[in-house]
Amino acid sequence: MVKVTVCIGSSCHLKGSRQVVEELQYLIKENNVGDDVNLSGAFCMGRCQENGVNVTVDGQHFSITPDEVKDFFKKEVLSKIK
Amino acid sequence: MSLFVDFGYTSLNHFGEELCGDKVEYAKNGDYVTLVLADGLGSGVKANILSTLTSKILCTMVSNNVSINECLETMVASLPVCKERGLAYSTFTVIHLNHSGDGFLFEFDNPQAIYIHDGKCLDLNRKKLLISGKEVYQSELKLKDNDYIVTMSDGAIHAGIGATLNFGWEREDIKKYLESIYDSKLSAKAMATQLAKSCNDLYLDKPGDDTTIAAIKIRKSLNVHIMVGPPVEKEKDDYYVARFLDGADKTIVCGGTSSTIVARYLKKPIEVDLNYLEADVPPTGKIEGIDLVTEGVLTLRRLLELSEQYLSIVDLSPKIFVRQDGATRLADLLFVQASDVVFFVGQSINAAHQGLPIDITMKLKLVESLANNLKKMGKNVIVNYD
Repeated sequence: MVKVTVCIGSSCHLKGSRQVVEELQYLIKENNVGDDVNLSGAFCMGRCQENGVNVTVDGQHFSITPDEVKDFFKKEVLSKIK
Repeated sequence: MSLFVDFGYTSLNHFGEELCGDKVEYAKNGDYVTLVLADGLGSGVKANILSTLTSKILCTMVSNNVSINECLETMVASLPVCKERGLAYSTFTVIHLNHSGDGFLFEFDNPQAIYIHDGKCLDLNRKKLLISGKEVYQSELKLKDNDYIVTMSDGAIHAGIGATLNFGWEREDIKKYLESIYDSKLSAKAMATQLAKSCNDLYLDKPGDDTTIAAIKIRKSLNVHIMVGPPVEKEKDDYYVARFLDGADKTIVCGGTSSTIVARYLKKPIEVDLNYLEADVPPTGKIEGIDLVTEGVLTLRRLLELSEQYLSIVDLSPKIFVRQDGATRLADLLFVQASDVVFFVGQSINAAHQGLPIDITMKLKLVESLANNLKKMGKNVIVNYD
């Protein structure tokens, strides 16, 4: 099980948290990995100065923009399953 | 036990008129709340001047405990006489009530007020008085928790006359309608707006008379504490959170950092719901022991819009809040449920927010406007800056 957490605080919301969440929900469904990925939200990770939306994968920190979600999902999430 | 007097009103303007000839005035003085609904002769500017003078004079004098005889003498002496009709005339209903539910009601030429007790519409016992040549009716008020009084200008009982209804909307039918929409959770404003909306429907959106509904409701007090933003002195976080939690019936935390501080103090996790119920309002969170956890500035901005709409005297949308996004849930807690609201506003600056539309000045402005609007709703509001 891979734990993916997306920050939905004010700053990240303005940088596109909503698109990131929706894109991730879509990709999880499309790849049929709902049982392997635990997607959750967090209020403010204390890294508002980053350029993108703050996301953690099993505790490891990333900053991604809505355009980067697809690549990010393939590289950092799908690769960690099994 | 102390009760809270909730009030609200909604007006329809005579079709084609910019000004309403009905006017509601409201004042709080010590333990007493005074509400006056006046309907000036005619419509438009003239009616507006008459009802404005009448409501303002009566409300100011009654709330300062001047006898009704003296109030009426002043009113009769002050109203300008209409050139065409040779009359100076405005109807009125005066409600003067304390926080135990005791007080009185005076009526002159407005439709008789409707008293709602336990969901049933009743008539108050009225005593006829002759003051300054006017027949004024007096009723003693002894209201209980969850009682309403609904007053209206004659535009309500004339609704639909000659169009959808032969004789207008009779008072008995208005009573039946109020019983049908009754729900003890409805605020006075919601009750008034819903009745006004139905009058507007009967008028087919073109009111033939100025129509105003004003309602008061007496209910239990509810003290809501709301924390917005982290305090400047970081090392005293625990002190501020303890003070925020102390003595509240319901607690709300707005903002990511604030939630983190509160969750740490309570030693509970924050759960975040990822469902976006409204596109422009971020999702809410959950902390055990806190009634509502939301994002900060963006949610508050939407809440301010909702408060403007709630206060509008011409907006006919239902004044109930059922959606589950953060801003709507805040509106239900603050506009409908709360009687007292205490803000705990932290002024710590998040450097990453500066320059964005979510910075500290924006937050402070929003809180100030919200506090003002809550006061206009009749709430007791305190704002603490930390």
